[in-house]
Amino acid sequence: MSDPTPKDPRLEQAGATDESLLAAHEKLLGRKPDDGAHYKMLPLVLLFVFSGLIFYAGTYLNRYSVRYDATVFDENGHSTKGVAAVAKADPMVLGKKNFEAVCITCHQATGLGVAGVYPPLAGSEWVNGSEERVIRIVLYGLKGPVTVKGATYGAVAMPVFGKVTGSGYNWNDERIAAVLTYVRASFGNKAPAVTAEQVAAIHAKEGDRKEWSEEELLKIK
Amino acid sequence: MTTVPPAAETAEVTEIDSSARCSLLLLLTCAALWLVLSGVLAVVNLVQLTTPTFLADCPIFTYGRSSALQQSIFVYGWAANSGLAVALWILARLGGEPLRSLNWLKAGTVFWNIALVVGLVGIASGDGTSNAWLHLPRYVLPVMVVAYGVIAMPGVLAWTGRRSPMTFAAQWYAVAALFLFPWLFSAAQMMLVFAPERGVLQALVAGWFVQGAWTLWLAPLALAPAYYLVPKITGRIIPSYDFASLSFWTLLFVGAWTGGRHLIGGPVPAWIATIAVVSCALLLFHYIVVGVNLRAAFSANGSTVLRFVAFGLGAYVLGGFIDAATAMRSVAVVTQFTHFSTAQSQLALNGAFSMVVFGAIYFLGPRITGRAWPSLGLIRAHYAAAVIGVTGLVLALFGAGWVQGHDLNDATVSFATMAAHTRPWLLAATAAQAVLLFGNLLLAAHLFWIGLAKSAPATGLFQSAPTMEASVS
Repeated sequence: MSDPTPKDPRLEQAGATDESLLAAHEKLLGRKPDDGAHYKMLPLVLLFVFSGLIFYAGTYLNRYSVRYDATVFDENGHSTKGVAAVAKADPMVLGKKNFEAVCITCHQATGLGVAGVYPPLAGSEWVNGSEERVIRIVLYGLKGPVTVKGATYGAVAMPVFGKVTGSGYNWNDERIAAVLTYVRASFGNKAPAVTAEQVAAIHAKEGDRKEWSEEELLKIK
Repeated sequence: MTTVPPAAETAEVTEIDSSARCSLLLLLTCAALWLVLSGVLAVVNLVQLTTPTFLADCPIFTYGRSSALQQSIFVYGWAANSGLAVALWILARLGGEPLRSLNWLKAGTVFWNIALVVGLVGIASGDGTSNAWLHLPRYVLPVMVVAYGVIAMPGVLAWTGRRSPMTFAAQWYAVAALFLFPWLFSAAQMMLVFAPERGVLQALVAGWFVQGAWTLWLAPLALAPAYYLVPKITGRIIPSYDFASLSFWTLLFVGAWTGGRHLIGGPVPAWIATIAVVSCALLLFHYIVVGVNLRAAFSANGSTVLRFVAFGLGAYVLGGFIDAATAMRSVAVVTQFTHFSTAQSQLALNGAFSMVVFGAIYFLGPRITGRAWPSLGLIRAHYAAAVIGVTGLVLALFGAGWVQGHDLNDATVSFATMAAHTRPWLLAATAAQAVLLFGNLLLAAHLFWIGLAKSAPATGLFQSAPTMEASVS
């Protein structure tokens, strides 16, 4: 071990004082951007690089984030958020929700309707009968007198629920199927469930049309 | 353009350095001891990968425990002690006042290291957790948070009580590291150890913590000395310094978001991996600016310190680009969950962090002790061993990971075949790790040598430094 000389690499002399190091860099930051419009290449390139990275990041995020869906593990998959998620819901739950929001006003929570005005759903031959008829009633409505469990009703028309011109509800096929499934399994009814496909098939077959009458419906088996 | 000012005002070494001697040497000595111990365990672990029977009958040295010990010792023993020592010294130098509350600093150091010892005994006896970088048992974690705060306090005081209101990039990074680690550490403790999250969220928090501890704690602790040493030694202004702050904030905002990169290809929602891919790409800006700012380190011939710093910076920037590349899903299919990821973390820890901090230690050693390093040969040998060790280790693990990744994607390859394919690479990695350990032993010995020798006022050793001119070069 020898006595170090000032140039000894074991000491590593400093090239600048701490104070001047601070002051010099602080002065740089206070400088006006691009003195005298001498555009330098490097800062411009860095800005372009940064913008480019942000652009890439935004595009990639938009393409592969799958709407931040917590249930999708494949970046090329599809989000199940929104409409599709409703389709997956239990039709009995969805049906009950819709029944209690709308149908209950006339047909009552008991499904018994109001004597002479609103026909009952409980034990109704229309509800428990052919899907062909009951789907058509909810999709397109029913106008004119109708006989249910031996009594005639005709004072009020059944509204149009499907996605049909003039409909006040515009329910999609899944929703109609769910309500029908619920009604056909409640109030003592024990008819089989109605699927969205069945509703869609009838919807496609009948297209856009007016309310049914009892006569027209009875022709359909 | 440089001019030499009167010597009295601008002495290179002042009371700032001599007063901090004991406290900083305490931190650095602990750090060096832990570094050697972690190196020994790293060699043991790598040997076990090729020879599973090695020390397999001793519960402490079973792979699960000894690799947990090695990781904890490296991060909380070596990196924390050395990184804090360097950061505190830089904050004091740039603050222009001697460090305050030095007795607290010593007490904090003692408590931190005792808690670590207790924690390591806990891991060895089976109390460890299964979280990467957070294997330490629950009973030492709160003590460590408090001890960290006590150690960091002199740094915060040096920052708030700095002589001039001016600030420099080295200070930003040092202060950020002081403040961000307690947040990361305590949040991770709560969510992983004390009130553990369940399911996917747990893996997510673990990834966030490991990545955050790197990008928001260890990386800033390495960047602080890098930003200080390069202009300090070359005497030249940092080019494109305007971008340094943008780069700093990019790291702070985006850094922890890259946590999901550890889970790409794993059972997590796709958007988490997507955010990580995007964040890794955005972080490239930070790496590019660091490279542009500190490029003078690569052309500074004759400076031993800057050679260490240059290697560390090279590893840091290269690591950033490799992180971004392996975050791409098509690459991650091969590299993820293999030795390749290990290679990346070794490049960051042993390559970037350790090398820059070694440089800083060699710079501050003579200044705080008032003596030149006893042997230039030891420093050069350490440099050579570190360069060979890190390069060999990282390349060998990259090779092992690449082979392993391709084998894993082929269902017809059996586990035994896979082990046979990676064996030569892992043997090379073991040798490289042994070289690295040898180099680190040299550092520890050198540090004891200079620390135990009688100290003297360093004023005669150092010339007054020239003044840096604020002209744009």
